[in-house]
Amino acid sequence: MVSTDLSEPFSAANRADALRRFSAGDRRFRWLTQFAAFLVVVIFAGIIVTLFIGAMPAIKAFGLDFLATSTWNPVTEKFGAFPLIYGTLVTSALAMIVAVPVGIGIAIFLTELCPRQLKRPIGIAVELLAGIPSIIYGIWGFFVFAPFFQMTVEPWLIGFFANVPILQDLFAGPPYGIGIFTAALILSIMILPFISSITHEVFATVPPILKEAAYGLGCTTWEVMWRIVLPYSRAGVVGAAMLALGRALGETMAVTFVVGNAHHINLSLLAPGTTISATIANEFTEALGALYIPALIYAGLILFFITFLVLAAAQLMLYGLDRRSGGGSK
Amino acid sequence: MNRALYARRRIRNTVFLTLSVAAAVFGIAWLALILYSLIAQGIQALSSHIFTEMTPAQGSTGGGLINAIAGSLIMSALAVVVGTPIGIFGGTYLAEYGRHSRLSVIVRFINDILLSAPSILIGLFIYQIAVAPMHGFSAWAGMLALAVIVIPVVVRTTENMLHLVPNTLREASAALGSPRNHVIRTVTWRAARAGMITGVLLAVARISGETAPLLFTALGNNGWSSNTLALGKNLSINYPAMNSPMASLPLVIFNFASSADDNQHRLAWTGALIITFAVLTLSIVARIFGSEKEW
Amino acid sequence: MNSMPMTADKVRIDIRNLSFYYGATKALKNVSLPLYDRKVTAFIGPSGCGKSTLLRVLNRIYELYPNQRAEGEVFLDGENILTSKQDLNLLRARIGMVFQKPTPFPMTIYDNIAYGIKLYERMRKSELDDRVEDALQRAALWNEVKDKLRESGLSLSGGQQQRLCIARTVATKPEVILLDEPCSALDPISTAKIEELIDELANEYTIVIVTHNMQQASRVSDNTAFMFLGELIEFGTTEKLFTAPQNKRTEEYITGRFG
Repeated sequence: MVSTDLSEPFSAANRADALRRFSAGDRRFRWLTQFAAFLVVVIFAGIIVTLFIGAMPAIKAFGLDFLATSTWNPVTEKFGAFPLIYGTLVTSALAMIVAVPVGIGIAIFLTELCPRQLKRPIGIAVELLAGIPSIIYGIWGFFVFAPFFQMTVEPWLIGFFANVPILQDLFAGPPYGIGIFTAALILSIMILPFISSITHEVFATVPPILKEAAYGLGCTTWEVMWRIVLPYSRAGVVGAAMLALGRALGETMAVTFVVGNAHHINLSLLAPGTTISATIANEFTEALGALYIPALIYAGLILFFITFLVLAAAQLMLYGLDRRSGGGSK
Repeated sequence: MNRALYARRRIRNTVFLTLSVAAAVFGIAWLALILYSLIAQGIQALSSHIFTEMTPAQGSTGGGLINAIAGSLIMSALAVVVGTPIGIFGGTYLAEYGRHSRLSVIVRFINDILLSAPSILIGLFIYQIAVAPMHGFSAWAGMLALAVIVIPVVVRTTENMLHLVPNTLREASAALGSPRNHVIRTVTWRAARAGMITGVLLAVARISGETAPLLFTALGNNGWSSNTLALGKNLSINYPAMNSPMASLPLVIFNFASSADDNQHRLAWTGALIITFAVLTLSIVARIFGSEKEW
Repeated sequence: MNSMPMTADKVRIDIRNLSFYYGATKALKNVSLPLYDRKVTAFIGPSGCGKSTLLRVLNRIYELYPNQRAEGEVFLDGENILTSKQDLNLLRARIGMVFQKPTPFPMTIYDNIAYGIKLYERMRKSELDDRVEDALQRAALWNEVKDKLRESGLSLSGGQQQRLCIARTVATKPEVILLDEPCSALDPISTAKIEELIDELANEYTIVIVTHNMQQASRVSDNTAFMFLGELIEFGTTEKLFTAPQNKRTEEYITGRFG
């Protein structure tokens, strides 16, 4: 029976008992959290290790030539991933060329130009765009965008650049509709909201006094954004761009439908091609033979390294920004 | 004041700001176009059949999506059940016990990379450990792949939300003699509850639309595999067979859209509409939830 | 020099040669002073003098943070609480703390009070109800909240929240209560209520209060310690310290020549 009279002192023995109950639980709990955190590392290491093991037969068979050859023959079991790597890099690069300026433009719009009432709805609309699953982009691209492209835009592009040196080869026909260029555009629409929402957040970390000082000197809105806000948040914007690039490189569904799945490299951007993830997605379940699956996994390994480099660089940029703006959550 | 210089500046300002507006319009326009196509196309096959019939074979008419919807729900639910506790405990470690430790820096770094890693590689990983050794595709494998995607999302949001809890709250409960784990479980988690739930909802929204990790783990199923459990003489129940391939909505969309069958195309659009609707609803609910003060 | 209070009083906490470090910075320099049983001792001094630091050593709440350490000895009823053998949770159950900013837990008023009790005691619901009521009575909050015990702790006003925190601390039957600038976030009426409360609580508990408000110190405390730049400059009965300070620094602070 415990005394309910507060004026009676509480004996130390009772407390010690209760405490003994606690300290074992304390250690267990702490260990559980550590274990979970460690599990994250284990998963990551597991991915690398299993990819290596799976790819080993192909690595032994082809070595580093895998990255430079273009043959892809499941019958003779000769595989070369160059078109895949090329496609991955080119579609992502093109996507960035479109998405980065547009994404920053949207962020600028949301930060400075948007009328107050529209800020939330438009901001939310852009974020919802980011939440749409990539397969939606894929089928929309395949059923709607690509045919449209084939009918109207591509013939126009081919005609427009017909006599311009270099560009005429980049934009040479026939108009397939699907191809590297189309895939790049779908990709850019996909990563667009991503860039713009992070950039918008990053812009918000710029101290208002800085902007006021610039406006006070008579700077135009554009000059404030271009000369003050962007340089100040440069690390964050670059980090956002690199994160977007990381996603674009690994994107599967948005690209698979519209890239054409052709294992060769064509100078023309309008020609079909393939990417690492598209190839894996399309061919993995049908792959037979001792080297086919390992070759696909080898390609996956390469993709892993490429995205790892890009994502790691993005982290470093964004960590730098966090420390600068006063610590934030890290 | 140099009039010409000023005029040039003003023009440049107008030009670039107009471009920004154009960019915003550009972005919204695509969203509108996509949603329009989704609705226009998806509505065509939308009927009660969707929820009563299984996916049709190529060349046949009619059919529905019920096995795919059920498969998605089951695998997503299980993935969340498995991944969320790991995510919450991991995030708790980062925010509470290991705020300044070496392990935390590494874990955070790796976690954020996993967050944005290509999901097809996660599919390959699970294939290697849960499909190849078992010589068969299974719903378990699909669920595991989705769980691996859930974990980093929940770790990140949990850590962020816990960081927002003011230290004075922790001190106040410690000052009463409450041991660390008790402080976390009864006060800190409670204070961050709304945010953590939002994180889970966002994770669910994310995995509902994932296709790539399921391609060679759950594989897909044109019907429905179930096992029977005999409970008594004349009583037995059917339950979904987790060690067989299982259908899921994104997979069906992928397969049907790539086929040459019009009927399947229509169903693919409807499936896409359903997924998008579910994902958008979840995101909106997560937002509303996250901005309400719970306690 | 220190003018010592009546040595007939029992010493509850004896601080001997205490130094405290934030990383490499020495924030407390060799502080020694006695805290008398069931008396109110105030720590006063300008910002950064170490008074809060000193208070936070007494329940070792600083252990929550890395890079903070204490050297020296602090005896609670004859036992040194700074040793590694001392169980921290046990210590904090004996020495309670109320913070500058009211910190109600995200739960009902009832649960806030019951929180500390349930940590160490098992009892029937009716007993728990009595304990909760008792604690709220002692914090002069019962009449204001008795009809809304199931409402969130955050629904109370600032002054009420602080009294809730005091009730929460008192509910665990501590021996010492530490108050870290408990009124600095409150309005004058709430402050007055809490000062009244401190007076009553002093009948049963040893109270230590940190305050930057000298008038408050002179109102509520029996003994006062004046600190400056991490050192204990003077310690004595409140009356003597404020009317006839022995140290020049003390006098300058009290008369407002700096601070």
